[in-house]
Formats: sequence, C-alpha cells, structure tokens
Amino acid sequence: MDDIDAMFSDLLGEMDLLTQSLGENTEPPHPSLPSTDKEVNFSIGFTDLNESLNELEDNDLDALMNDLMADLNASEEKLAAEIEGLKPTPKADLPQSAPTAPKGPSPSLPHPTPSLPSPASPESGSSRTVTSPASSATSPLPPPQSSKPSMEEIEAQVKADKIKLALEKLKEAKVKKLVVKVMLNDGSSKTLMVDERQNVREVLENMFEKTHCDCNVNWSLCETNHELQLERLFEDHENMVEPLLAWTRDSENQVLFKEMPEKYEVFKNPQNFYLWKKDRKTLKDMKDKDKEILIKENFCGTSIIVPDLEGVLHLKEDGKKSWKQRLFQLRASGIYYVPKGKTKSSRDLVCFVQFDNVNVYYGQDFKSKYKAPTDFCFVLKHPQIQKESQYIKYLCCDDARTMKLWVTGIRIAKYGAALYENFKASEKKAAVNAMFSNRNSPSSSSQSTPSPTIKAKSPSQANGHAPQPSGGTITQDLGDIPPPPPPPSDHTFSHPPPGSGSSPPPPPPLAAKNSIKLHPKHRQPASRSPASPASLDPLPSPPPPPPTEDSSDAPPDFLPPPPPAANFPPPPPSAANFPPPPPSAANFPPPPPSAACFPPPPPLSSMPLPPPPAALDLPPPPPDPSFLPPPLPPQAFTGAGAPPPPPPPPPTAAPPPLGAGPKLAVRSSGSLKKTPPVPPKRTTPSLQGAGGGGGEGGGDGDFMSELMLAMRKKRGNV
Amino acid sequence: VKLIQSACSCFRMAVWDLSVTVEDLGADAPPVTLSVTSDLHVGGVILKLVQKTREFDWSDHALWWEQKQKWLLRTAWALEKYGIHADARLVFMPQHKPLKLGLPNGKTVQLRASFSSPVFQTVIGICRMLNIRHPEELSLLRPVEEKRKKKDKDITEELYDLTGVPLSSVSRPSMYNGMPAHFVDSAEMEAVYKMLSVTQPPPAPEVVAKQYRPASVVDKAHINGRWLDSSRSLLQQGIQENDRLWLRFKYHAFYDIEPKYDVVRLTQLYEQARWAILLEDIDCTEEEMMLFGALQYHISKVAQSEPQLLASTAAMDDLESALQSLEVKLEGESSSASEMLDNMTAPELNDYLKIFRPKRLTLKGYKLYWVKFQDTSISYFKSKEESFGEPIQQINLKGCEVAPDVNIAANKFLIRLLIPSPEGMNEVYLRCEDEEQYAQWMAACRLASKGKSLADSSYQSEIQSISSFLAMQKTKSGSHGKTPAADESINTHSLVSPRYHKKYKAKQLTPRILDAYQNVSLLTLTDAIMRFLQIWQSLPDFGLAYVVVRFKGSRKDEVLGIAPNKLIRIDLGVGDVVKTWRYNNMKQWNVNWDIKQMAIEFEGNINIAFSCVTAECRIVHEFIGGYIFMSTRNRENSNTLNEELFHKLTGGHEAL
Repeated sequence: MDDIDAMFSDLLGEMDLLTQSLGENTEPPHPSLPSTDKEVNFSIGFTDLNESLNELEDNDLDALMNDLMADLNASEEKLAAEIEGLKPTPKADLPQSAPTAPKGPSPSLPHPTPSLPSPASPESGSSRTVTSPASSATSPLPPPQSSKPSMEEIEAQVKADKIKLALEKLKEAKVKKLVVKVMLNDGSSKTLMVDERQNVREVLENMFEKTHCDCNVNWSLCETNHELQLERLFEDHENMVEPLLAWTRDSENQVLFKEMPEKYEVFKNPQNFYLWKKDRKTLKDMKDKDKEILIKENFCGTSIIVPDLEGVLHLKEDGKKSWKQRLFQLRASGIYYVPKGKTKSSRDLVCFVQFDNVNVYYGQDFKSKYKAPTDFCFVLKHPQIQKESQYIKYLCCDDARTMKLWVTGIRIAKYGAALYENFKASEKKAAVNAMFSNRNSPSSSSQSTPSPTIKAKSPSQANGHAPQPSGGTITQDLGDIPPPPPPPSDHTFSHPPPGSGSSPPPPPPLAAKNSIKLHPKHRQPASRSPASPASLDPLPSPPPPPPTEDSSDAPPDFLPPPPPAANFPPPPPSAANFPPPPPSAANFPPPPPSAACFPPPPPLSSMPLPPPPAALDLPPPPPDPSFLPPPLPPQAFTGAGAPPPPPPPPPTAAPPPLGAGPKLAVRSSGSLKKTPPVPPKRTTPSLQGAGGGGGEGGGDGDFMSELMLAMRKKRGNV
Repeated sequence: VKLIQSACSCFRMAVWDLSVTVEDLGADAPPVTLSVTSDLHVGGVILKLVQKTREFDWSDHALWWEQKQKWLLRTAWALEKYGIHADARLVFMPQHKPLKLGLPNGKTVQLRASFSSPVFQTVIGICRMLNIRHPEELSLLRPVEEKRKKKDKDITEELYDLTGVPLSSVSRPSMYNGMPAHFVDSAEMEAVYKMLSVTQPPPAPEVVAKQYRPASVVDKAHINGRWLDSSRSLLQQGIQENDRLWLRFKYHAFYDIEPKYDVVRLTQLYEQARWAILLEDIDCTEEEMMLFGALQYHISKVAQSEPQLLASTAAMDDLESALQSLEVKLEGESSSASEMLDNMTAPELNDYLKIFRPKRLTLKGYKLYWVKFQDTSISYFKSKEESFGEPIQQINLKGCEVAPDVNIAANKFLIRLLIPSPEGMNEVYLRCEDEEQYAQWMAACRLASKGKSLADSSYQSEIQSISSFLAMQKTKSGSHGKTPAADESINTHSLVSPRYHKKYKAKQLTPRILDAYQNVSLLTLTDAIMRFLQIWQSLPDFGLAYVVVRFKGSRKDEVLGIAPNKLIRIDLGVGDVVKTWRYNNMKQWNVNWDIKQMAIEFEGNINIAFSCVTAECRIVHEFIGGYIFMSTRNRENSNTLNEELFHKLTGGHEAL
C-alpha cells in the first residue's frame, strides 16, 4: 500500500513538474488524472484518486498505468525513465475488493464550485471550477447576460486567441475519465480506463481485446445495483460513463461483462416477440425468410414498430409489499393499463409510465426481497435513483418468457432504431471475427461452434470460484487460466514501463493502441532470445494466464515484475501449479493447446497489425515464454495433453480467432521473418507430442503444423 | 391498310348509319350520323366524325359507348370487333375532364383528370400534376355526403383551379425549382402549390366538430366501401364531369419518403394523418393525443413563420445544398473563436425567486431566495449579498422532469421540477413573478434537463416558444366568448379531437399540450412532420382498413381488418382481435364473383372464406392484392411502376 501510494504520488509529482516545465498552456497529460474526479477541486480529486487507486489490485494498476501512459504526449520520454524506476518497487498487495473504480462525487451532493478567477488557466485541472475570465464580471451580480463586455477591448483579439487556445486545451482536459473495473463471469476482472466520450460499443471492443472472447453479439456490459438487486444491460450506443456517474460513492454496484442472449434475441427470432401469440411450434418452425420479413416490417420502415404486448402483470403497490394485478398494454408511447370497469379502447387507457426518463432493469430474487409472486420481475426507474424509492415501479410477470417479451418490448419502444443499428454493428464485428477464426483453424467447423473461451471456463469457475482470488484455489485458477487470451493482454500491460516510453504517442489512451505499439519491442526480445522461449511456448502460455486472469492470486508477484527481472518469480508459482492441473484435467487440457497456439504467432504476428484484436493478443505471449522455466511446463503439458482430447474443441475454438491473426500476420509480415523461424522448430515437437496424446488434439497439431508450413514457406521465400 | 384491303376483298359489307353524339357541340345538338361499314376501324370513324364537324382540337377525344359503358380506345379495332351495330349510341368526348378533387388537407382542387384510363392511371396523372411521388399508394373515393346544414354556405368553398394545366406538361412534367413547371406560370398557380405543399393551420374546433366522425368500427368499415375500382375508368364507374371525389392515401405502406422530393406528398400525408387523429378515425391514448396536439401546434407555428422552408429545401439542388453547407461550415469555423468565448463566459441567470420544496415536512411554503442558474444547475442563497459564499443548496437539473404550472389569470407562474437523486425524485417548485421571468427560467430548466446549458443555441428559441405559448393562453382567457383575437392565437381545442373539447377546458388543455410540447419544440418543420407520421404509424391500429364480413360457417357479422402486412379478424362485440393471418403465409386467394365470396388459403392448410357486407368483394380483393403489390417494390425498380402486376394482383373481375 504504502509503496503504491508513494509511487503514485511520486509519479504525479513528476508529472506536475513536467507539465509545468512544458509551459502553462500545455499540460495535456496532467488533466487526465485529476479529471477522474470531475467537479471537484484539484486537491480533492487528487486524494480521491489515491484512495481509489488503493482499492485496485496492482495488476489493475499496471493496466491503469498503461492507460495513463498513453496520455503523456510530449513528456513521455522523460517519464518513461522515471516510471521504470518506480515500477519495480510497487509490489504491495492491495485490497482488491472495490468493485468500481473512482467515481466523481455523487451527483446528489452539492458542489461548492468556487469559481476561480484565474483566466482559463488550465492549471486548475478540474473542469467546472474554471469559470474563466468572465467570472469576474458574472460574480458581481446583476448583469447576468452581458457576458463578453470585458473582452471586447482592444487587446481582445490577442487575448481571445490565447483564450481560445487555452479553451481547447481545457476542453481536452475536461474529458472525464473513469477507471472502471469490469467483472467477468469467472470471477476475475478487467480494469479499463473509460473516456466520457466513449460509448458502450467502444468499451465492449476494448473488452474483446482484453478477453479474447469470440466477440459474438451476445456479449454485453451490464450494470448491477446491489442494493436494489437490479441488473440492466447497457445498450451499445449508450454513453458508458454517464450511468456510472449516477452510482453513489459507497455503492456496491458492478459492471459485468457477460453473454446475454436476450440482448439481440429479437433480431434472431423476431417471431417470438412480434408473433408471440402464436403457438410454440409455429414460432419454432419459422422460416428464415419470414423472420427477415418481420424484421424488415418492424425495423426498416419509416417508424419502428413495437410488439403489441398486452397482458396481466403484477404491480407492486407503492410502499407496500403487496402485488396487485392489472391488465397492461405496451405501446410505442409507454406502458398503459386498463382501468377497472373500462374497455381496452385506446382512449380509456391510463398511462402507467413513459420511457423518456426511465430505464428498464431486471429484478433479481424479488420473490424473497419483495414477496413477488414470481422471480420474473422487471423494474422501471430513473437511472439516477439508486435506492428504494416510491418512484421505482416494480412489475412481476408469470414466467420468464413474458418477462423477456416485456423487457425487450420496452427496449424497442425506448431505443427504437438504435437497437437495430447496434445489432448490425455487433453482427458485423462477430462475422469478421468468425471469418478470421475460420481461416485459421483447419478443423474450424467443430471448433468454431464452441463459443468463447471464457464461456468454456466459466463452468469450471462456477464451482465455488470466489471472485476474489485466494492462494488456495490455485488449481482452479489454472482452469480459468487456460482461457489464456486474457492473460496475454494483461502481460502487455505489465510491460508498459519499457514499452510506454515508445508507445506513449497514442494520446487517446486506448489500451489497445498501447499494446499494439508495445509489441514491436517485445517481439524483438522474444525473437532474439534463444530458442528456449519458443519451445516453451505451448507450456509457457499457461503460466502467464494465471497472473492475468485471476489477478487476485498471483498478481502481486507477477505484476510488479513485468520487467525482465520479474520474469523469474512468476514462473515458479506457475510451475508449481502445473502439476496439479493435469489431474484436474479435462477442463484444463484444452486451454494449454490454445495457449500453445498463441505463443508462436505472437512474435510473428506482431508486425501485421491488420487484425488488431488478434494482433494484440499475440504480442503478449512472446514475453511469457521467456519468463517461464521451459522444462517444467512441457512436462505438464504432455501429461495434460492426453486428457485434453475431449475438451479441446472448446478451447480450440477460442484459439482459432486468435490464431487467425497470427497466421495472417505471418504471411504478411516480411520483415520479421527471421525471428519466427526459430520458435517454430521448437514448437513443433511439443505440438506433435500433444497431438499424439489425444486424437482431437490433432486439430491443434494441424493448426500448428499448418503454421509451420506457412513459416517454412516464408523462410523459403526469404 | 392490309387488313382493310383483305376485309374489302372478302366481303362487300353493307353500309349502315352510325350516330355519334359529339359532346362539344352542346347537349342540345343532334347526333352526327355517319355512314360506315362494320369493317371500319374506330380510327376511321373518328376521322369521318372530325371531317364532318368544325375545326377543333380533337386530340384528347375518344369514343364512348354508352350502352356498354365502355371506351373504344383501340382505334385499330373494327366496329365489328367491338360488336358495334347501328343501334349503338356512341359519344365523342374528351378523355380528360374536370374533376373536383378533395385533398387530404381538406382543400379542393379542380383539375382535368383522365376519365378513360383505369383509375390507377388516372391517379398517376393526378399525382404527377400535383407533384406527389408514389401514386400507387393513393386512390380515389366517393366523398362522404356532407351534413345538410352546410348547404346554405356551400358557395363559400374555395376552389383551386388547375384545369388550365396543359395535359402535355402532365405527361412529362419538367421541374423548376423543385416544383413542376406549371406551378411557376402565374401567381395563382404558385398559390396553388403553396396550398399543396404547406401545412394548413389548425382548423377551428367547430369545423372539426362538424365533420363526420365514425363512431364505431362499423362506421369506419362503411368508408371503405367508397373506394373506386382501380382497374376501370372514372366514366365507367359513373363519375361525371365536375363530380367531386376524394384523393387519399389508401395503402398505408409509405415507400421511400424523401423530404427533399416529397414536399407535397409529406404535407398531404401529414394532413391525412392529422385528420385521422382529430376525427378519431384511429384511436390513440390521451398522452398520445397531447403529443399529436403539441406537434400540430409546432408544425403550424413553424410553417407560418417560414412557409418557404419546405419548398426551398426542395428547390435546392445538390450543388446548391453542397455550397450552402460548405458556407455554414466555414462560417462555423470562423466564428468558433467567438463562440468559444461565449461558451467561456457561460451565461447565467440570477434573480430572486420563490422556492418551495413540498417534500420537506415544513409548512413554510414559498420562501424567497436569490437564485442563480449556471450551467445545468441552480444554486440558491439567502440573499443577493450572500451569493458569493456557499449556496444553501445547489441542484443539478440534468435528467430532471420539468412541468409547467401556469395560470395567467391568477398570475401563477410555477415551474415544477422533479429532480432525480439516488434516493428517488425530489420535488422543487420555482415560482416566478411574471411571464418574462418565467419564460427565461423555464427555458433554462428545460435545457438543463436535457443536459444543455444556457449557452446552448436553442435557448432563445426556447424562450420564444414558451412566451408564445403563454400568449396563446392569454388571448384565450382574455377573449372568452368573444371572437378570436389575434390570428396568431391558436385554440388548443383545435389540436385535439372533439372528445377532449368536452373533457377539458382550453386552459386545462394548454399545460398538458405544453408539457408534451417541450419534447418537440426544437424540431425543424420536416422533422416535426416526420415525427408526427412516425407516432401515427406506431399506433396499434395504424393502417387498418375495416370491412364487415361474414365468415363461412359463422352466423354473425365480424370485422376483417386489412393491414399492410396482415389480415385480422375482429369480434364485433368485444372488439378483440380473434385471429391474425399474415400475407407472407398466404398461398393464394380467390374471389367468387357470383356468390361474392372470398376464399384465402394460407400455408399449413389454413383456409378461410367470407362474404363481404359493407363493401364489395373487389374492394377487399384490391386491398389485399394492392398491399402485396406494395411489398414487391424495391430500390432497383423504384422509378418504374409495374402497372401490369398491380392489375394482375388487384383486377380480374371484369373478365367475368
């Protein structure tokens, strides 16, 4: 803790110095930090930041650091040196409980907002406080509207230019950023820096890169409200930061990254919503052509058509724990109910709620919480409301299907065409991803179907896997680890220090960008490093994952080490872990193979940036191999190799996408050729062994051998 | 020639007298008698006829066979082939005749329409003249008889005369400034175009009340019995010169609406939708009615203030618009510095206001505070002097609900704020002294609720729209019973269906419409019209054409609802939808013209059959076929209308 604190305050101080030296107006990097706490005085923001940072795990910190690094435009070079110095030291175990990163002050609190007379000096950092030059005029009193009097003077022009410049800087500085911790359904988490301008789609893409999942359209970000037991999936077009700012300071709300099949169900099976009255068989046997027609009718016309839902729902009565039935109707303009003794005629309907100011949430376990008739409840409330209130509307459906109908219907009514646009964008992304994965894996057909690696893992994790990593659960962790994809990304982060110096340029701190840039550097080391790393590849991959995935367990040890020196420590633990995994078995085996695939590609692939997501993943792997003690892993692998056969399909599926990137990369990357050759050789032996072990493992083997072929070709060409 | 020769050589046909009435000679003139043989073709008859009468432009004329109610349009056909004998009464008359056409906006134009081509083509011609794209969506129907009382003041009806438009310009209209060239000829013609392309002001409540309103589904069903047959000509359907017909959008599947080219189409569509709402042709909820009212108010206001807007945007061709947008861009760039300055010196509102927080259990009531509105927040202080210190409270209005509570007569200008917080919604009332203050603060609150600050460009227009709404209420309450004051004022009763005239007084209605108005007050004219149409289209009953039918095997009348994509069966008693059949599951349908029964087969061996009670079978048949036709339209052939397919899908009965 102390170390970290020290490190950060050092860092911040350093930045301060740097920025000051850069001149008053130019301090782009700086704002990003304080800006996490908007609307608060600089000093407050500072402490808050420290506080919140304390709550992060240190690998989160690494990630965060990485993001931050990206913000340092001009100063990065100098800083890089500093950071390198700092990095190794931080190594403390931090309490990692806090689900969310720092947020702005809770909106409800009145902000003092003292207006600083300072004329637009960026120094103030926090956005709101700067009332700008005008403040002098405004604060006086009466003339509220006359804003620009003073500026009209002779020097105004010069001043205006300056101010304009300052304002632009300010605008940039004003951009709010949140550090968001996203929980995966295996209990692990990823930490992201989210820019207030980013929408959910962009953050999702970010998560795809970090988790190497299959990018299918079901992946969603959700927010949970612990106190109200609510969950809501964010729509892809929504702003990501806004809802998070509504959380209270002490909330236990979380952001989840998980698959929600109902997200775009309406576009996959529109008949279930638009023809819900039909019998089940008709719905099931619906022809694709008819589905298309339904979508065209309802989403492609001049206006979006909302499914005509009507039915009896249970409504929780204000302030009471009793539920009463009413006949509700969904219309584009809101939810209505039929008053007692009236007909269903439109003009007699009573408006229950309109959607402008409310979001729809799933209620969880309302049967016990509110004595609801069933657990299929949904809630409508203003997004700002975080606690029990009479302004929250609770509805309960008889079954899951009805609930899905209503929630989806409400989303269509509320978001309209945006939903369909979102779906098309998601589908495109998934298709691109699938294309890559297919190209990659020879045995694609079987592999492609099994969905994301993460998913595969989740079951294993589900077994009492506590979100918080504990040393004892190592074996389980391994199981999780296999999902290798995530780990690599983390690794990239850990490396930032070295890489950061070079990478910083990308000011928009997207983790992705950073990682990409980092790769080149890593590559070189990897390639140069003796064959040993390469040979390790298959095995090594496992070790890295553990640290990244379950950040909690090993993280402390691992993360700090990112630099080369650190490498050693991690391997030992991983090595220790390995033995156990083989037995545990079935689940794990798959991961290793996939892991194996990655390592080789990374070095090669680094060049080909085209498939960004894939490319990102790859880079990390190289470092991993070098870290691990070669000997041990292989053994573990081979042992595990046999069991894997059955599981392989799922794991392999995941790899394909990743591998795709690499593969392509291989072909395209001319310059790197040299490095690749070495690793392949080593990899092949190990793979073959694995292939022999299990029939299905052959798939992996094929993939690898194909890769080999490709590389040989390359070499030949060279 | 060949044909004639061969005919001549084969038979020596007897010469007989054919009498033809020439309409242009006047009703009293005796028929012209021609000597013809049975092998003479129709063209020959016309030639003889023209030679026998005076010089005239006969180019548009054709022969009409009165007994058979049939045009003789194939000039190459011999009389024999048509089966015409000496007893035939033929009339020689122009194919295009004047027609009084009631438009969706309630105005009537007089124009020359084709009486000889199938109505489908006639409508195409009319739409070309009026500049309405996608004429296949419209059709003609016989008007509902107007109430007797109206007879006395019948004369006052305004007629927009388009009979002077040359037919040649209809068949191939050239465009000028986005409108057909014939509208540029004279000021009168331009006025006609304006009538077509600019929305009408809201009708007086009495006018609405006087109109025929269908009271039930059965009433609505009766209207659908009035549609003309698309495959037969006007004259064949008994329409006479100068008769009155309605032009309406019949198929509610509006394809490819493009505001730039669809000025008239959009305007008329809006008018039809507006009247459908006002006359409760289609049901909606009270909330929806208020929103429709707010949009009507907004549309009429914007249309009055910038009546040329729609036309001018349409007139702008691509180059022009590109230039203009470039200009805007440049302007924007050059002004960005000063704009930023404006932003920087964020405008504020500062004033003494009375604040009341109903939630607090105090009985204090309103208390005077110095209130400052900045950005999207209000802060209040004990007094002006203390405004440099910490405010008593600061409230961010982003995401809050703003409701007006105004009674001008009682001098009450209240802004009710419902402000979200983690614990729920907090109520805060701001009480203003006068209209001006109210408009300023109300506008600020509204913008803030949407996350916009006072610096937002829409602030001034928001203030204006609030003041104008207030003014409207003022004239209302001031002119109780008197004649309407300024023509600016709109009676809110004009914006809603008569049902609400009884339910609410105008001053009760105003705040509710105003409430809905705040969500639409910043829309452009086109956007507002589009929004209106969208909301209309998303009503559950949108596009349903009703026909009372009797299903085979059933003993009671039921209602068949024909929607753009499906048929629904409605129980007359309860009004519930009993069954739905979608067109895309339809395998075939047959009409038995003899027993006037329709039989439809759907996939999965579903067969239904019914006879039609309130309309002819052909109307149901044409509706269904028409909608199927509409669904076959696509981008590739959007410019050419497959008329043959339309008739194939909708016609067929005349063959029997």
